[in-house]
Amino acid sequence: MPGFASPWDERAVVANDASGRLFDEAVTLASQLASAAGRDREAWLLLLRGDLLTCVATSPSGGTDSRGPYRLSEHPDLDRAITSGDVADGPSEVLIPVHAERRVVGLLVIAGQGGLEHHERGLLVALASIVGLGCSQAASIDELQEEAERSRRLERLKSEFLNIAAHELRSPLGIIRGYSSMLGEGTLPEAGRDVALTRIAGKAEEMAQLISEMLETARLDTHGLELELEPVDLRQIIDDAVNAMRPVLGAGHRFVLAAPGDPIAVVADRPRLTAMVTNLIDNAIKYSPQGGEIAIDCTCDDRTATIAVRDHGIGINAEQAHLLFTRFGRLVTPETSHIRGTGLGLYLARETARLHGGDIAVTPTVGGGSTFAVELPLV
Amino acid sequence: MEDDVKVLLIEDDVAAAEMYRLRLVADGYSVVIGRDGHEGLRMAADEAPDFIYLDLRLPGLDGFEVLERLRADAATMHIPVIILTNYGEPDLRERGLKLGALEFLVKADTTPAQLSDSVERATGPRALPST
Repeated sequence: MPGFASPWDERAVVANDASGRLFDEAVTLASQLASAAGRDREAWLLLLRGDLLTCVATSPSGGTDSRGPYRLSEHPDLDRAITSGDVADGPSEVLIPVHAERRVVGLLVIAGQGGLEHHERGLLVALASIVGLGCSQAASIDELQEEAERSRRLERLKSEFLNIAAHELRSPLGIIRGYSSMLGEGTLPEAGRDVALTRIAGKAEEMAQLISEMLETARLDTHGLELELEPVDLRQIIDDAVNAMRPVLGAGHRFVLAAPGDPIAVVADRPRLTAMVTNLIDNAIKYSPQGGEIAIDCTCDDRTATIAVRDHGIGINAEQAHLLFTRFGRLVTPETSHIRGTGLGLYLARETARLHGGDIAVTPTVGGGSTFAVELPLV
Repeated sequence: MEDDVKVLLIEDDVAAAEMYRLRLVADGYSVVIGRDGHEGLRMAADEAPDFIYLDLRLPGLDGFEVLERLRADAATMHIPVIILTNYGEPDLRERGLKLGALEFLVKADTTPAQLSDSVERATGPRALPST
């Protein structure tokens, strides 16, 4: 089950009142049962989290004394009881494993002189299984709550995303409407006509790009992307992307390209890979508003080709970098809030790289800025 | 021209600034452009424009901060300001108008001709186009 890796952590248990009460009652009952024969007994319930046994309930006769936490590697007797899953009789205490979902998640510890009577033991083992059921339930409730929280978060992200996307569409739309209205009214000075047509075409392209990114994302969500693979020379892809981006290169920017002399043969979906590299270059330009060098290096070893796009711009907050490649993960900071973009490009870039058997990563550029590196397997 | 009406556009989108400038100049206004919040504020003080168009999403200082500072400075507090943005949310509109903006226009819905009309509404009949 996804997100079920460590359901027995304290959070899952302690956060759940019902389970907490169940544990207290179980331990009280355990100590009463064990004391029924007139011998003084105490009981503790220890639950396992990773390598650590933590006390979550204590019998009233045990006072407020808690026990542990115990690291299993330092307590071979506890470790044995957990590993074997069987009741273990020690000289001064009895360890009863708590089972949940076919694994041991904790120990019910009964301390006091003398062993347990047969019927006491039977009852305490039954009690331990009830506690185990409580653990399972606490974990499922916790998981459900997390799932609900996750979907609420996703919903919120989705509507924030729609908001961003709407604004991103509005800005080129404004230019197209503006210039076409001027052309229509005949109010545009002669000298502005060429500019108008170039702008209208450019902005329509920007909108088309945005819409196709949104459609690609929606398609990915529902069917996954199907690649149309063919043998390609990676250097050609980079050339195509660089040439597509030359017109939007700011005055202060310059491209520095480095690639081997021989073809770099990969099997790839040419348009998608070109779109990915174009997008990385577009980002490098957008996020280095002060200009500077944009280096595109292509290197390879025996098995892997790497495309690295390096800028000297605003850079990325390292703590948030992991969000960059997520679906609605555009990072907005005061430095970047005015920069256009939905953030879908990097999400699609990662999906594209992964569908090709590769991956993408971002690292800070020495001296400021970011470097995005895509690795792809060679033929 | 003596009664030249000077318009300051505080706008980081080069394409949008250029388009609106074309129309405003054709209608006889003289136009200066500030590319970010700080530059916009500086030009508002130095150029003494008759009128300001202010974008909200700007590098450096956002439009609201610019507006607050314009209003706090005796030299610029009386210059009429129209917010010109792609954010049309009612709460932003309300905030802008509260801060003293004359109007709140959404770029995608505002043609250059409508924009030019809004200057005329704010500053009176326009100067004759220079031929």
